[in-house]
Amino acid sequence: MDELIAQFAIEARELVQQASDDLLALEGNPTGRDRLEGAFRAIHTLKGSAALFEFGPMLRVLHRAEDLLSQARAGKILINANLLEPLLAVIAWIDDSIDGIAQAGLLPDAQERQAPRLLGLLSVETADHDADAVGDARTSIPDWATSLYQRFASSGNDETVVAIRYEPHAECFFSGDDPIATMARLPAIRHLSVSLKEPAPSPGAYDPFRSNLLIEAISAGSLAEVVAVFRLIPDQVKLEPISGPAGGAGPTAVSDNTSVRPSSIMRVDSARIDRLIEIAGELITAKNRLAPLVDDARNHGNGPLARQIAASHTDIERLVASLYSAVTQARMIPLEHTFRRFPRLVRETALKLGKTIDLVIEGETVEADREIVESLFEPLLHLIRNGLDHGIEAEADRVQQSKPARGHLVLRARQRGDQIEIEVADDGCGMDPQRAKATAIARGLVSESQAATLSEREILQLAFAPGFSTAAAVTDLSGRGVGLDVVQRSIQSLGGTVDLRSTVGSGTTFTLRLPISFSMTRLMVVEVGDERYGVPIADVIETQKLPMHAIQPVKAGRAFMLRNRTIPLLILSDLLHLPLPDATPGDLKVLIVKVGPDLIGIGVDAIAERAETLTRPLTGLLKGVSGIAGTTLLGDGKVLLVLNLEELIQ
Amino acid sequence: MTVTLQDDAITLTGACGVEEVENLVGYLERRQDLPVDLAGATSIHTALWQALMVFKPVVTGTPASSFTSGQVLPAFRAYLEESQE
Repeated sequence: MDELIAQFAIEARELVQQASDDLLALEGNPTGRDRLEGAFRAIHTLKGSAALFEFGPMLRVLHRAEDLLSQARAGKILINANLLEPLLAVIAWIDDSIDGIAQAGLLPDAQERQAPRLLGLLSVETADHDADAVGDARTSIPDWATSLYQRFASSGNDETVVAIRYEPHAECFFSGDDPIATMARLPAIRHLSVSLKEPAPSPGAYDPFRSNLLIEAISAGSLAEVVAVFRLIPDQVKLEPISGPAGGAGPTAVSDNTSVRPSSIMRVDSARIDRLIEIAGELITAKNRLAPLVDDARNHGNGPLARQIAASHTDIERLVASLYSAVTQARMIPLEHTFRRFPRLVRETALKLGKTIDLVIEGETVEADREIVESLFEPLLHLIRNGLDHGIEAEADRVQQSKPARGHLVLRARQRGDQIEIEVADDGCGMDPQRAKATAIARGLVSESQAATLSEREILQLAFAPGFSTAAAVTDLSGRGVGLDVVQRSIQSLGGTVDLRSTVGSGTTFTLRLPISFSMTRLMVVEVGDERYGVPIADVIETQKLPMHAIQPVKAGRAFMLRNRTIPLLILSDLLHLPLPDATPGDLKVLIVKVGPDLIGIGVDAIAERAETLTRPLTGLLKGVSGIAGTTLLGDGKVLLVLNLEELIQ
Repeated sequence: MTVTLQDDAITLTGACGVEEVENLVGYLERRQDLPVDLAGATSIHTALWQALMVFKPVVTGTPASSFTSGQVLPAFRAYLEESQE
């Protein structure tokens, strides 16, 4: 049961996304036939999945939604806001329900209470536009087609077919029609039935030259072929494509491409791929142990053995590297997974704000590690809402400034080497550096004199400082007490950076730069007391052995001289709030690191081995811990915390 | 003549067009005891099929056309069965 629900949740999220994409596309271009088909397919499949469970009114809601789409497909109702609004409301409702369903296996109460409203929205639609079709529009497939199909399917067939209902015009014989001969031209005919529309007319009333026939048939040909057969008499024929039930209870109206098309995509639990990556990582560590063997063998005077081991080492190194890159590749997904959630959110938000906004998405095919792509949603959402709320002006203001009435929001991704660059740009009012400066001073983030020395660009970066987000700016949208500092923090925890550019009057652009995947990093393992930590070697400029007497107290702190420069000294155990070891060893090992423009020494008890590993960002409870860049698994199976020295020092 | 009245049957032969329907109806009205033999028919116009459905004679013979024998005739027989119920 649980597994079924979980499967439903996964599928439902995809289908909701699909339907939402298609409906939004229809909003822009109501004639997009494939979008209409796509939305119908998604809702239809969703209905089929929901039918497996007891989700209260969900099935009915989906059924109505499907009805509407089916009528739109038949050209009986117009595709306009009156149709799309309720459908989008349904999609949003389902989307909101999925989490509750995944947890409880039931439709959440909140959503259940909304169902009557949705049903109301959907039925108003039908009454307004389709007074005469209400009767037979209860099901997406007309009754005649259903019963015809059932008769056909009872013979064990389940191919995709076209149901045909042909009522020849009474005068058709006079115009030279021979309806049964017309039927003979149908491709792949699977079933034929003929009957009299009005049964057994009395002999006197019977006119042999008037047609009183109803001809029904099932053809396994394509819809286009069937349409071609009846092209001269379309008014006398009804056609209904029906796909094979594929185990379902009844006929379905269109072929469900996703289930029919043989797919080369395989759904794999991401934990399995992660396990592969871990193994690949361990393999790298194991491989590294071969290197000392080469020296050992050589020292024992066994040159040939040393060369053999060295050769194997190189081979294994190459293979491990390609294994590692292959499994890393398996975790890559396109940014689309995150990006595609935005159009609907932007639309809803804009509606709430009374603004009209065009969201342009580019580069959604760029790929990155799954964890990065998924972690991007929150920060991007925040930036986008920020742009909608504070950036883009109300329509009237825009017109006054001779801007297009519709706001423009661009979400653009590009690959740059081993990084992805994502831009969130609006064409709104921009950020005023003077106001930003005043805010930063008022909040005590900078002093007035400090602020005076900052360039405009630097002032704007203050927006990322914790506490900058002002109460005046808190709305129910971008507010939520979350400032840009949180955005920056979450991007940094993924190993990325955020940059802000803004021009008053013409808009704001946030640029995010992130690694494509968590690549191998070389770590230096340091010891503090009994603890071991990893420090990215890239952060360490050099290491020094420092005799105790070389340390000079400077005010409350300590410093030492290195090549005629005074370097402040920090002790790692202090930074980590660890208890000081009782006996201070004779020499202090110091890592020289660069923080901003300054060099800083960090004292540790010992410097142990170096390791090449994969650092993963912190997740769950540890996510907010500052000073920790992530964790890594060592060859011996131990977890090592990797420090973010820059954050630790601040 | 493609629709003819024989001693023991009404026979359809060759291409039986719509113009034969009056003949057929005439025979069917007069000789409800006779079966209708389709064996020699190469094509049968819809109007003729309709006449057969109205008068419901016993139909014998298998026309050469595979569509007629494979689809139309079974559909016709199915209609007769249904309408008797």
